[in-house]
Formats: sequence, structure tokens, C-alpha cells
Amino acid sequence: MVRLSDLPEDERAHLLSKSEPPLGPPVWTAPSRPLNELRIALVTTAGLHFRNDTAFDFADASYRLIPGNEDADNLVMSHSSVNFDKVGFAEDVNLVFPIERFRELAAEHTIGSLAQIHYSFMGAGLEPSAYEQAASQVAGLLKKDQVDAVFLTPV
Amino acid sequence: MTTGISLVRENTLSMQPPRALWTSFPLGRPLGIPGDANFQHRVIRAALSLLEAPAGPVLVDYPEDIPELTQAAALSCPVSFTRPIEPPNSWSSTLLSEFQTLLPWYELGRHRRDGRTVVGVSASSVKENIQKIGALLDESRLPVESLRWFKAAIEDAKLFYFESLTAQPGNYDQASVEHVFWHETALGATLTELSALFLARPGLSAFARIVTPRAVMDASPGSQPQHSPKDEL
Repeated sequence: MVRLSDLPEDERAHLLSKSEPPLGPPVWTAPSRPLNELRIALVTTAGLHFRNDTAFDFADASYRLIPGNEDADNLVMSHSSVNFDKVGFAEDVNLVFPIERFRELAAEHTIGSLAQIHYSFMGAGLEPSAYEQAASQVAGLLKKDQVDAVFLTPV
Repeated sequence: MTTGISLVRENTLSMQPPRALWTSFPLGRPLGIPGDANFQHRVIRAALSLLEAPAGPVLVDYPEDIPELTQAAALSCPVSFTRPIEPPNSWSSTLLSEFQTLLPWYELGRHRRDGRTVVGVSASSVKENIQKIGALLDESRLPVESLRWFKAAIEDAKLFYFESLTAQPGNYDQASVEHVFWHETALGATLTELSALFLARPGLSAFARIVTPRAVMDASPGSQPQHSPKDEL
């Protein structure tokens, strides 16, 4: 469990050192439609990509595309940190990239639809501000894909 | 709009994203339990419900913890690892022998997972890579010209071991798997030794921290952590 009070002091200090102020002024977009009409994309910082894709570098602000019609079981992880569990990912890709769960939600019309393309960043080695340019690019791509909302999974 | 999972509440409170669901799950497990679709769906629905909040930022604590394993599955690979107490004549040969012992279990696990494996970041095979990793230690040499190959090779090798150790169905305690790897296997010993060599080399000490977890390095004999918490990944 990641209650900081349960962790050893050095781990607690390390995680607290990652606290940053907001990147900008508060932003808020209210939904204009109910959940069952929303088009949703998944974005993760798990460092995922397909085997033939270029692996993430040790500190890397780029992103990889994960087409929604590809088999997510073919994803691999090139995340540079060694301080989190990878045993779970080896067992189930949905633990960090819940694409099958969202396909189920789309099939039962809990959500409107899934994006054509989902995205992975690699969440280690850089300050959050380093991702601004790439994140802006992804935001533009999501708009083109008519995505209404993004589900974020941090790793 | 965005919503999503928070694994470190203090970080999220500080950055104030529009919507976040804090969970008590371990790092690397934002959806909680592998293979448990019902559990994952409950987490997802809780995070999606934040889209209905009238104003933000919104940070909600998810009330369900991962159940403690009252009886974790015993690691399914019955290999008796023999972590070298003294440096072997050949780390490369020792690692190759360990690889060959594990290979049937890796293949069993791959069969159980319908062919799925997460090994494959490196362009070279695990067998080839671990022999090269062993040779580095045999020669007390660091791969300074090929750090990207080295990182990909060690991550693939670790995942090969993890998939072997959890080859059969079961509810595995992640800490147990990692303990066996780092404290009982020759590969764990090799990586710990190489990490110490990186730590001692000017200009490469930071690289040691993406070879071996903090807890393993800090517990190894003679380790002297010389870093600030923020330097690590």
C-alpha cells in the first residue's frame, strides 16, 4: 500500500520530493454530455509500446501510440525506474493500461466509445514541465480523434 | 476533460489536477489486482464518476484496499536457487545454468498466459543477454558504451525471472517474488554487484539507481547511499 506513513523513511522522502506545485492556473471543463455518450482515451506513464517500437530512453518526454485495435498483450514496458512493481504488469496489462476493461464498458454502453489511439508516456527521470510540448501534441491528436475525456494511469 | 488514478496522495494534492482518485495500491498497480476484472471495474467506475463533479479540483479517496494475502501462492517454480556466496569462477556460466533451469518454467508461464510475455524490449535474446551481463562482471567491466543495451537487457532478464517464478496460476505476493529474485538468484547477485561498480564510478553513479532498487542497494554490504531523494527515478 502506498500510504506514505507505511513506508520506510527514505522511500517516504523520495516520494514526497516529487510533489510539485500546479503547472498552471486551474483548468476545469464540465461534461456537456452524460458518460454513456463520451468518447474516452487512455493515457498512461507506464512506458508502454509494442516490441518493434523504439524503447523509451532513461529520461524521455516522448510518447508512443497504442492503436485501440491492436492486441494489448503485445505491449512491453521500457520504464527506466526500478522502484515499482512489474510483476503485476507481467500478469495483466490491464493493471496499468485497462484497455480490456474499457472495451467492456463500451460494449455495455457505459461509455460512448473508445478513442482510435491511446498514448503512453514514460514517467521517470524528468520534471513534469518537461512533458509540456509532447502533452500539447497529444492533446491536439485527442481533439482530432474527437475524444471527450482521458483516463490517466500513473506509473 | 481528465480523470485518473493517484498513487501518491501528497503529490496529487500538491499538483491539483482537475480530477483524481487516490488509491492505496502499490506503485506499478494503479488498477489494483491483476486478473481481477471486477475489482478493476470498481476502481474505474469510481474514477469515471468524478467526471460528474460540479467543480474542481477533485481528489477523492478510494475506500477499498487490496485484500491482504492471507495465503499467498507459493512461487510455482520449484528451483532451488544457489546465490553465490563467493564469486564463482564464471558469472556468465553460472547465469547460463540458472537461465536453463528456469526456461521450462518461463515457457509454462507463457503457455498459461496464452502466449503472452512482456519480455522483448531488447533486440537480443535473454540467453544471449545474460551471458553478456555475466561476462561484464567476470571482467569487472561496465558497458559504458552501450548503456541502452544494458538497461534493456537487464529489464528483459528480470521479467524472464518474474514470469518463470509465477508460471502457474496463483495470487502471488509481489514482495516475495522480488525478494527471491534479489536475494536468492545469481542474476540478482550479479546486478547488485554491477550496480555497486556503477555507484563507484564517477559520472555513472546515477545509473546505478536504475539497475537496482533503493532498498536492495541500501541493504547490500558496503553500500553508502550518496544521493538526494529527488535524484532518483
